[in-house]
Amino acid sequence: MLRNLKFALNSAWQSFWRNLAVSLAAVLSITLILVLAGVNLLVGHAFSQVLDGFRTKVSEISINVSDDTPLQTVSDFQQQLTADGRVTSVRFITKEEALAQFKADPQNVVFAQQIEGNPLDAKLEVHVKNLGDVAAIDTLARRWPGVDPADPTNYQGDFVNRMLELSSWLSLAGVALLLILMIVSVVIVMNTIRTAVYHRRKEIEVMKLVGATEWFVRGPFVIEGIMTGLIAASIALALLVIAYPPAVDRFKSDIGFIPLSYDPRFISILAQDLLLAGALLGALGSYIGVRRYVRI
Amino acid sequence: MVLTPDFESRPVISFQRVFKTYPTGTEALRDINLEVPEGDFLFLVGPSGAGKSTLVRLLIREEKPSKGKIFVDGIELGRMKRRKLPYYRRKVGLVFQDFKLLPNLTVYENVAFALRVLGEADSHIRARVAEALDTVSLTGKDHTYPSNLSGGEQQRVAIARALVHAPRFIIADEPTGNLDPATAWEIMQLFLRINARGATVVMATHNREIVDLLRRRVIAIDAGQIARDDRSGRYHDDVAKSQVRA
Repeated sequence: MLRNLKFALNSAWQSFWRNLAVSLAAVLSITLILVLAGVNLLVGHAFSQVLDGFRTKVSEISINVSDDTPLQTVSDFQQQLTADGRVTSVRFITKEEALAQFKADPQNVVFAQQIEGNPLDAKLEVHVKNLGDVAAIDTLARRWPGVDPADPTNYQGDFVNRMLELSSWLSLAGVALLLILMIVSVVIVMNTIRTAVYHRRKEIEVMKLVGATEWFVRGPFVIEGIMTGLIAASIALALLVIAYPPAVDRFKSDIGFIPLSYDPRFISILAQDLLLAGALLGALGSYIGVRRYVRI
Repeated sequence: MVLTPDFESRPVISFQRVFKTYPTGTEALRDINLEVPEGDFLFLVGPSGAGKSTLVRLLIREEKPSKGKIFVDGIELGRMKRRKLPYYRRKVGLVFQDFKLLPNLTVYENVAFALRVLGEADSHIRARVAEALDTVSLTGKDHTYPSNLSGGEQQRVAIARALVHAPRFIIADEPTGNLDPATAWEIMQLFLRINARGATVVMATHNREIVDLLRRRVIAIDAGQIARDDRSGRYHDDVAKSQVRA
């Protein structure tokens, strides 16, 4: 087994160098594809970070309490909401606290000076587990007798729905792009390996005639494919690691309102994904490429 | 020393009503019945296109029979599973007219190749290759590349590769086809020595002189059928020849 592995590794290495031009062309093409895939993953990650921020904000709903609602009714409703499986937490904010919060916001400084008395409602701030459940809590709140009928909640259904829709479209587009890139790289590896098979057809014929098993013949080609994929993935990763921080800085300075940030933890996930993808795509491409030609 | 095959014992190669028709409709072999005892040395003769090569291809299971059964060493080749094929081929040593040597490997590496694919240990490979090269009188040429060898030497390397894993059968398709008469004779001596050690040899050939000189078993194939099976035959049928002369 070990001897066969040694033979396969030697053969793969020799074949890689013997067909250097084709091997390098394949490495370059797959590097470009993996860079695109990596950019896709990085952009996807950045947007999911941004979306997570928005999600946290919109998964909180404020229920305005009518001034004449008895405290006991509010407390009962607070308990009912806390017991609801869809709710993470409920916090009661008195009229005074609401006013203090309002005044504390630097954006309201001028407006706060003109306020007489306390026109703000007391409110129940509810954190919902899933963004999709905010609408149901909103409906529940509007049916509650203690709610301020003039301004029941701060729920903006359209915005949330649009964001959910955008988020699912973005994920779908990302997955579709990744799929296309994967198919293209499998085809590239397939053709590279077919060239290698063509160059070594005599050797393969002799191997078969002297009693080599199919896997003994295929092994070196599959390893060559994995090698091509791993080399390409390493180059792609190096390029992305170098380009990621300046790209985020540039984005931030150009489009400041989108809170994009550099996430060094994501680099290790990206490294794992790219190397695994490189190895798998290389193995798959070469396996398909060699399968038809190496049938004993 | 000549090993006498025992024609009474169970044959190691047996063709039972074998037909081979290619997808193009060409009928290459018709109703072949043939039994080869262990240690036999047989020549397959006949004009080009008679079906000799098809018979060889059936024997090494590059082709399956369209009808009938072929048994080699108790295995029915037509029903053998594809994954078992490499293990069958390890019992066989193959020699071809075009040598089928790998030009980028040295003599040693070419011969060792047959053992490498079996996953043998380096020390074992070294010993066996040295022995095989000694048998074909190529000791000292280990590091030479095939392109620097004569045709006869290349064929000897191919024979060394065919016998290095001590196969029970040697199947040769026109092994002297590309060689001058003197070299062809040297090569034949090698086959005789391998046969004397116990290997069964099946050889398709056009070399009349050699067949006539050795007087071994001759199977003449004509238009896909066995026209003649002589235990100690010549290339041409003497009766037919005398009839032609008359």
